[in-house]
Amino acid sequence: MDIKKLKPVFFIASILMAVIGTTLYMGSYFSGLLFILAAVVLFLAYKWLESGTAALLGLIKAGAQALMVPVFGIAIAIVLGALVMLASNYDPVESYRALFYGAFVQNWHVSVLNAAPLMFTGLSVALAFHAGLFNIGAEGQYYIGAMAATFLGLNLNLPPFLSLILIFVIAGMLASAWNIVPAILKVRTGAHEVITTMMLAHTARYLSPIFIRAHGGDPSTSDHAYVTDQLPEANWLPRFRSFLPEANYRLHVGILIGIAMALLVYYLLYHTRIGFEIRAVGQNKDAARAQGISIGKNIMMALLLAGFLAGLAGVNQVVGLDHKLYENLSAGYGWNGISVALLASSHPIGVIFTALLWGALDAGGQYMARVTDTSNSIVEIIKGIILFLVVAKYIYAYLGNRIRRYRRRKQEAAEGAA
Amino acid sequence: MSAPQDTKQVILETKDIVKQFPRVLANNDVNITLHEGEILSLLGENGAGKSTLMNVLYGLYTPTSGKILLNGQEVQFNSPKDAIDLGLGMVHQHFMLLDPFTVTENIILGSEPGKRGTIDYKQARREVKEISEKYNLKIDPDAPIETLSVGLQQRVEILKALYRRAKILILDEPTAVLTPQEVDELFEVIRDLRNSGVSVIIITHKLEEVMAISDRVYILRGGEVVGERNTSDTDKTDLANLMVGREVVLTVEKEDKQAGDTPILTIEDLRVLNLKNFPAIDGLSLDVKPGEIVGIAGVDGNGQTELAEALMGLLSVDSGKITHLGDDITHMGTKELIGRSISYVPSDRHRFGLILPMTIGENIMLGYHDRKPYVRGIQLNYKYINSHAEELVEAYDIRTPDVQNPAEKLSGGNQQKVILARELSREPTFLLVSQPTRGLDVGAIEYIHKQILAMRDRNVAILLISLELEEIFALSDRIEVLYEGKIVKEFDPKKTSHKEVGYYMTGGKE
Amino acid sequence: MEAFFTIANTDLLVAMVRLSTPITLAAIGAVICERSGIVNIAMEGIMIVGAFFAAVGALYTGNPWIGLLMGIVAGGIFSLIHAVATVSFHLNHVVSGAVLNILAMGVTRYFMVLFFGHPGTTDPIPNNLGQLRWAIPGLSKIPVIGRMFFDQTPIVYFSFILVIFFAWFMKKTKVGLHIRAAGEHPLALETIGVSVKKMRYLGVFISGLTSGMGGAYLAIENSASFTEGMTNGRGFIALAANISGGWNPIGAFIASLFFGFADALQVRFQVGKVFDIPEEIFIIFPYVATIIAVAGLVRRSRPPKEVGVDFMIEQEGD
Repeated sequence: MDIKKLKPVFFIASILMAVIGTTLYMGSYFSGLLFILAAVVLFLAYKWLESGTAALLGLIKAGAQALMVPVFGIAIAIVLGALVMLASNYDPVESYRALFYGAFVQNWHVSVLNAAPLMFTGLSVALAFHAGLFNIGAEGQYYIGAMAATFLGLNLNLPPFLSLILIFVIAGMLASAWNIVPAILKVRTGAHEVITTMMLAHTARYLSPIFIRAHGGDPSTSDHAYVTDQLPEANWLPRFRSFLPEANYRLHVGILIGIAMALLVYYLLYHTRIGFEIRAVGQNKDAARAQGISIGKNIMMALLLAGFLAGLAGVNQVVGLDHKLYENLSAGYGWNGISVALLASSHPIGVIFTALLWGALDAGGQYMARVTDTSNSIVEIIKGIILFLVVAKYIYAYLGNRIRRYRRRKQEAAEGAA
Repeated sequence: MSAPQDTKQVILETKDIVKQFPRVLANNDVNITLHEGEILSLLGENGAGKSTLMNVLYGLYTPTSGKILLNGQEVQFNSPKDAIDLGLGMVHQHFMLLDPFTVTENIILGSEPGKRGTIDYKQARREVKEISEKYNLKIDPDAPIETLSVGLQQRVEILKALYRRAKILILDEPTAVLTPQEVDELFEVIRDLRNSGVSVIIITHKLEEVMAISDRVYILRGGEVVGERNTSDTDKTDLANLMVGREVVLTVEKEDKQAGDTPILTIEDLRVLNLKNFPAIDGLSLDVKPGEIVGIAGVDGNGQTELAEALMGLLSVDSGKITHLGDDITHMGTKELIGRSISYVPSDRHRFGLILPMTIGENIMLGYHDRKPYVRGIQLNYKYINSHAEELVEAYDIRTPDVQNPAEKLSGGNQQKVILARELSREPTFLLVSQPTRGLDVGAIEYIHKQILAMRDRNVAILLISLELEEIFALSDRIEVLYEGKIVKEFDPKKTSHKEVGYYMTGGKE
Repeated sequence: MEAFFTIANTDLLVAMVRLSTPITLAAIGAVICERSGIVNIAMEGIMIVGAFFAAVGALYTGNPWIGLLMGIVAGGIFSLIHAVATVSFHLNHVVSGAVLNILAMGVTRYFMVLFFGHPGTTDPIPNNLGQLRWAIPGLSKIPVIGRMFFDQTPIVYFSFILVIFFAWFMKKTKVGLHIRAAGEHPLALETIGVSVKKMRYLGVFISGLTSGMGGAYLAIENSASFTEGMTNGRGFIALAANISGGWNPIGAFIASLFFGFADALQVRFQVGKVFDIPEEIFIIFPYVATIIAVAGLVRRSRPPKEVGVDFMIEQEGD
């Protein structure tokens, strides 16, 4: 029997293992990890069947190369962070131990909870980047999504899953509508989306207290000045606890939706006509236009999709974690989405991991601040340094050139002497 | 042939110049000398290393190794400033002028008169006037550059160098954008300059020019000097052989062919406004029959771009009518036009032709990405996209390891072949070709010309827009001269000359 | 009608000038920076850094002038990161700016905790520049105009002087001409022997200094303390002012006055409690005004041709 026929089986099995593994990982690390490893092996086997050994090795090599810069950036940032800590009289060893222990072991569930909204906003910024657009105002779309989700969550009384689906879709669409003005202005007048979406982000932020007061609950139930009523439990996202007894009680399935969304965005960008047009416009709009691709339509498409994705981040927080809306509920998920996207070079699959990294750093920072004297704002500095070192790729080319030139000079000098 | 002898003093000399780029060895042990009051040509094809050498001399590039001697002294140019200070001036092929700024501002830029960091505009204007009178190069010192013709802009560039007291003037492809009449004027200017003691280096790939203006010539090929001649001791064939390294046929062979009767494309009284709302095409009428190549000759900026863009639905038509196979297509969008089997090879292949970071396969699909079998539903069929691209890579002799290679990794000639493969394989009824060989080497030019002629033999109606008269003459069955947005004259290429066409290109009247 | 007059009076115009000052300062920087060819969306972050260090300086030394100096210098230094990233390391300008904004939030929060032991707002600054009101003798007596332009606090006057200075500087000095050339056709500048790199560094640095000053104004003159996020998008509004003002200092100043007016209006409405509408509706005035301004005016004039475009002579990379 031709083993090549088994290709789809490998593919489906790998996806299945990945889903089971990721889910299990929320409860039991060991079994979850086993499944995820199995998924990776199956996927590599699938790739090998599809395109042969050479291509597989090429893929692994390309992957390793793509990872080199981020890994290097993170390593350097950790060293620089330690220097900053030393300079401010904190103990770097103790602090880092607490940070990593908190991020990946003790408070892993917090890392995951942080990562879920970042995945959505990160995907939002990344998708817009592919069209050559900078959705810097994801924060605003996040607020709109959160408000819409709260409103719908408070008012919808439908069978559980139906209302959840409606909340996700409608709130997402409203958030995407928030980007209509920047999109139209960009197409019609060329007004830069950096300014327009940013202004709308501030606008949305100041609209949220009005909304919250209109749906006000009892402020004494919360640390926050204003807070809405709580959503009925029927409109909450399911939690892992309900089927994985070991999982932390706050962990909800939003992370899985985030990962699914990342895969969907990947498929959209690299395997569909729509994504191809978006990328074509982003990479060379003149050539795209000369081949009949509408620039305006694709700018609209990208900005609206970006708004939708950022809105889902707000939905995810409201129906998944908080179940109500506070004033200033956001921990800057919109702004951090920019970092997450940049760090992943706008690759949707990369966003999954960079969102987890960012979420883990935040969670670890909080834990560190609790058990040591070190301020968790050091994490912001480390994040900034990582970002710079990863984004400014030219630094490495520059250094490489310098080293090469130096070596050549030395060699020439040696030859000259001889 | 004996080495040329010259008794005049050597003022500039290079010794074993090597310039290594990350992927290309652009100059390899180049030795040239320039004498005082001499017009020297550097002849070579694109990529022969001429411009690199000049940029090294001008301090823009640092040579990997080698020496530059000025008046016998070794000099080191770390930036153009050093070169300028020592009396070198350069007129670049693409003018280094600031469009919205005035002539005066452009000429004085970097050497402004005035005290304590301020600019004395009065004195500047006076100095510009003086120098333009001294060298008899008339110019309005207050005109913004964007209002000047190309010939006048070049004059500003020359004045810029003279203002800095250049004793050596380097001209990079100075005639590329000029009409035959403007070329004559330029040559007059160059001779005057020589007579007033300026040494001139002309970089060019045009043999006629070398013969017409220079005293001596170096021939470069593959980054090396392959020959040196006194112009009086040589001829075009000798130079051509040195330049290309093999015997070359200077024209492609073209058989006579009877064009069809009914035009495939007709343009009637077309009027197109450019981005500044100025009529760039104004009352143009034209038709193209099957199996015929109509060549549009003209000086750059007379409406070529707008004509092409209007035909492809990229620029809206103000009035007039375009008909394709009997249907009115005047206001059709690009997508529909592509659907009607109209193909377009744009002049700027990096900007309009290719999406450089995308793969060859994707670039070949581009434009057809929304139709079967490239796409099923909304999902792209990469299996087909790549296998189709592989066929075309084979058929059009595109040199690439595989079709997943991004277009930016290809050489210029191969990039142009990707565009040709895409456009020609779509079995066009009408083909619009604009500047198809710009910046390519002789081999690629020959190949592309052959492909265009092959399309003619398959009864495609072809409209060729080119700024190179050579190309127009080599390919066209009919020449239409475009001047200020109108067709001013029609020629049979067999019954006319470059000079005559050139006369009409500059607005000459009957 | 009565409500109208409680709002529309000279106080409103005075507040307009006062509130436009930080925008004007950053907008001048944006003009110089974009003229040199670099897009600087990091001004928001530069302002916040400037504001923070101005507050620290004023609080620790008790001298607001030292605070002002520290704010300006901190802004300048912080902006150099943008210059290094975009000019020397060829990073996309918008990306670098976004990263810097994020970094600025982190840096100020970190130092906030380090210096004051808590995030949020600093202690009040007892000696601040808001206490110094310099009435120009004679001129300040002109009705309306006098109070608007000649009876203000120090940095407001500095902003006027800087507008006039840079308008002159760009037009009449060699460096001004070179900066403009660097954004219009950098290679042309390089080929006549002026370093594009230097001009672009200078452009970014000037924008850092003026934005730092704008931030300092917020912390030590307009209010008497520093609060995290107190710039509230003003760096971006300044970018809009630069665009609406046609990449020219005078135009940018006029546009900034317009945004200052929207801001003054919102403060008036809020404080006056004139209408029974949630106050946040007024807070969004300046943001909406900005969107309208960039939408309506963006095509009025031409940006520098090569703004936002990287400049590299030799392909050293790969």
